[in-house]
Amino acid sequence: MQNAKDTFYTTLQQRLAALNPSRTLVLRGVVRPATLVDENELPTASIPTDAFRLQWTNLQVTNASPLPWIAMECAIHYATDGSAGNGGMDRGRALAAMDAELAAALAAEPHAVPKIDYTAAPPAVMATNIFWSDPVFAATTATNERLARTATVQVFAYQEAGER
Amino acid sequence: MSTPSVAPITRRVRAYFAPVNRAAGTPTLFDAAQSGHFPLHIPPAPWVDLGWISKFVRKSGTKVEALRTGSPAMTTAQVRTEAEATVSLEFEAWGKLQMTLASGSQQTNLLTTVPGTAPNGSGGLAAAPVPLLTGTGPASTATSLNVGATAAAAFSAGSLVAVDVDYTGQTGYLGAGVSTAYVQSPTAVGSDINYVRRVTLNVGVVAAIAAGVLELAAPLPAGAPAAGMQVSQLAGFCDREGASFFQEWSALFVLEGAQGDRILYHYPRLQAMQGSAEVIETLAAPLETIRLAAAFRALPVKDPNDGETVLCFRSYLPAPLRSI
Repeated sequence: MQNAKDTFYTTLQQRLAALNPSRTLVLRGVVRPATLVDENELPTASIPTDAFRLQWTNLQVTNASPLPWIAMECAIHYATDGSAGNGGMDRGRALAAMDAELAAALAAEPHAVPKIDYTAAPPAVMATNIFWSDPVFAATTATNERLARTATVQVFAYQEAGER
Repeated sequence: MSTPSVAPITRRVRAYFAPVNRAAGTPTLFDAAQSGHFPLHIPPAPWVDLGWISKFVRKSGTKVEALRTGSPAMTTAQVRTEAEATVSLEFEAWGKLQMTLASGSQQTNLLTTVPGTAPNGSGGLAAAPVPLLTGTGPASTATSLNVGATAAAAFSAGSLVAVDVDYTGQTGYLGAGVSTAYVQSPTAVGSDINYVRRVTLNVGVVAAIAAGVLELAAPLPAGAPAAGMQVSQLAGFCDREGASFFQEWSALFVLEGAQGDRILYHYPRLQAMQGSAEVIETLAAPLETIRLAAAFRALPVKDPNDGETVLCFRSYLPAPLRSI
């Protein structure tokens, strides 16, 4: 199922970067698209703003299908303080822009992509596709001047023979 | 080595329309062996995209009876005593084509009327049509109508237009590209010169106007206007409960599977089996979404491969490298 997680992350990262190439962040000294998976990064108390942070939460495995079928919940967190140049008064617009980018990235066709094994060199396309549900956007939370939201997506995949 | 096949998982259903030649009684056939993998937003000609649909339900009304012999009677064979197939769905858009198919009868265009004309439910006396110019300026095409600068002044971006021939006493099936009405006699339609434009599906939206040419937002369904066709403006569309005509169309429904597999349902001949209906869904009270609800009964065609008389073709295109 790690392949499904990796594939969903890279798909979402590529789509978000294509929609807004200027949304980047500096992580460990490297400028990169502002989409990351929490569990793949160094533990830190600092929460990056104006970035999409993926957390894998619930997992369900069903063996009734000819191929074991997995459903994983991906919580996508994002927050913004607005821009310093506007004194943070554009934080609502900044959050709306992130809402729109995430919604567009997840709604773009196709809604299914080939699962890829990124541990292989070069990455190997596998036999099945991953696919996902429409996102569910939670209410905005406001902490001082910071606005934040979490969107939840169900990601589905089949566990192929020999796959871990 | 192949991967075990799994049950298709699909997100939604896409519908496509093609005309039935009513005079000849021949539907448009879809060949899944040749064209089954077409991109969903680019159907092969002459199929027209009807967009996404919801609440798609197929029902088989075919009856299988047991033939019993002996005492005590025991089933020794089975026979099909009746074959029937129906389809119901909800359209996600209120387009001209969707409204026409859902209503199942003549779906009239509400042609702009002569000022002061007597009111009529499906539109009063229509204004004089605008001729398409020939020999002056560019020739009209499926996406541009050359009406001349003077006539073009009566149109604006967003105008709805119907393009078809004048009614001059024709009887039988009428409508450019698609038969949309059946006229038994000129007196039945009052010899109305605009009658064909009242019922035609050959309609469009003016997107822009330049040098006397109406540029349409999308091509006319019947293609470039034929000689003698004229243009009428319209305000919208109207259908009538109790109207007598049965629309008939060739239908294709495609369900795209998440693994690259595809299910296609092809009904060569569908006719509406109910009048105009809507489904109301509460969006956030008091806001409601109103969807066109439609139900169709399949009519038979003969499959020349074996002479079988059938109602529907269900095709399945497996995902690549799956066991079958």
